[in-house]
Formats: sequence, structure tokens, C-alpha cells
Amino acid sequence: MASLVPPPGRSEVLSLFRSLLRTSRKFADYNIREYAKRRTIDAFRHNKELSDPTVIAAAFSEGKTQLEVATRQAVVYSLYAPKVKSVMEIV
Amino acid sequence: MAARMALLKHLRVSVVRFAPQNPNFNTPFSSLGNLLQRRRFSDEVRGSFLDKSEVTDRVVTVVKNFQKVDPSKVTPNAHFQNDLGLDSLDTVEVVMALEEEFGFEIPDNEADKINSINLAVDFIASHPQAK
Repeated sequence: MASLVPPPGRSEVLSLFRSLLRTSRKFADYNIREYAKRRTIDAFRHNKELSDPTVIAAAFSEGKTQLEVATRQAVVYSLYAPKVKSVMEIV
Repeated sequence: MAARMALLKHLRVSVVRFAPQNPNFNTPFSSLGNLLQRRRFSDEVRGSFLDKSEVTDRVVTVVKNFQKVDPSKVTPNAHFQNDLGLDSLDTVEVVMALEEEFGFEIPDNEADKINSINLAVDFIASHPQAK
């Protein structure tokens, strides 16, 4: 399946990476915050060696979708933020 | 974004409230002028510059704590990619960690340029909002 979407440049990928990390910091719950951060880093590492432009474009658009999800969920979860901090944040 | 705007708005208000009074300001528009004056010169907006050696120490500590870095290789002149063996993703992570340490946000175009401890120190020491 040929994609008409040009593959993203290096700076766009890094910008998406940074945006995902910034968004992950906004989660009120420690576990979700850490998960989102870890998941972002792992996914970018995992896809580091991609070379096929179509695959890169697909991964990039998947990342953008996840960024939208994370942005929305950070707001939704903030309405139901945990009332006590995780023990991991206290020590 | 809405929450962020609400937060920023809230911060602005508190800046005006805590700003020092300026007794010498007497023009027909003094209330507005005062407001602007106090906003512009309030410590919270202007911030204060951190001492460069302190910034260097804290940056070095943050980089040393980064899990992929060999702490013995971290010097104030180290280059992230050449000396510490970090790739572009690691560099983004380090810069994000520096943001957390110094409590301010580094814009993307500035963050892209930071690729060594020296550059990070220069940028943070010249940024009034770093704390």
C-alpha cells in the first residue's frame, strides 16, 4: 500500500517525541504519568531503526493519534485525580 | 490547553497583587500605568538570573543522573552526542529533565540547539525564569 503522505523529517519526529513527553507530565496520577513517559520513550526507541518511508509515516501518524488521546485523557483524568499521592511521589 | 490558560491567568493575577508599589508614578493614566509598570517590573515576571556556577553544578548533576550516561564522563564541557554517546532522543530526554530541574519550559526551537552541557548552562543562566 503506497502512502501519499511524505515521511516526517527528523525535527518533526523529535517535536512529536517532545510533545508526547510534555503531555505525559500533565497526568495527575503518578502511575499513568510514569507509564505514558515510559511508553513514549520505549516506542520511539523501538521504531528508531525504521527505514521504509511508508512505515515511518504510519508510525508517525500513529504517534500523532496517541498524542491526541493523551492530551484528551490528561484533561479527563484531571477531573478524577487521585486524592492521595502515590507513595512513590512521597519518598 | 484550557486548564493551562486558566492556570496562567491565575498566575498573572497573583503577579500584580504581590508586585511592589511605585510611589513616583503620577500620570493621568496612573492606574493603568501602574498596573503595566508593576507587571513589567515585578520580580515574578522578570525573575532573576541564576549564578552560572550553580547552574553548571545542577546541570551536571541532572546529566549524571540520566541512566544512560557514565557519570565519570560528565564534565562541564561534555558534548551530549560526541562525549556522552547520547542520541537525539536521549538529548530530548535530558533537556526535558533540565526543564523539570529548573522549573521552566524551554521552547522547541531553543531545545533543539542544546546539544552540550555548555550550551545548556548558557541558555539556563541567561533565562530569567529558571529557578
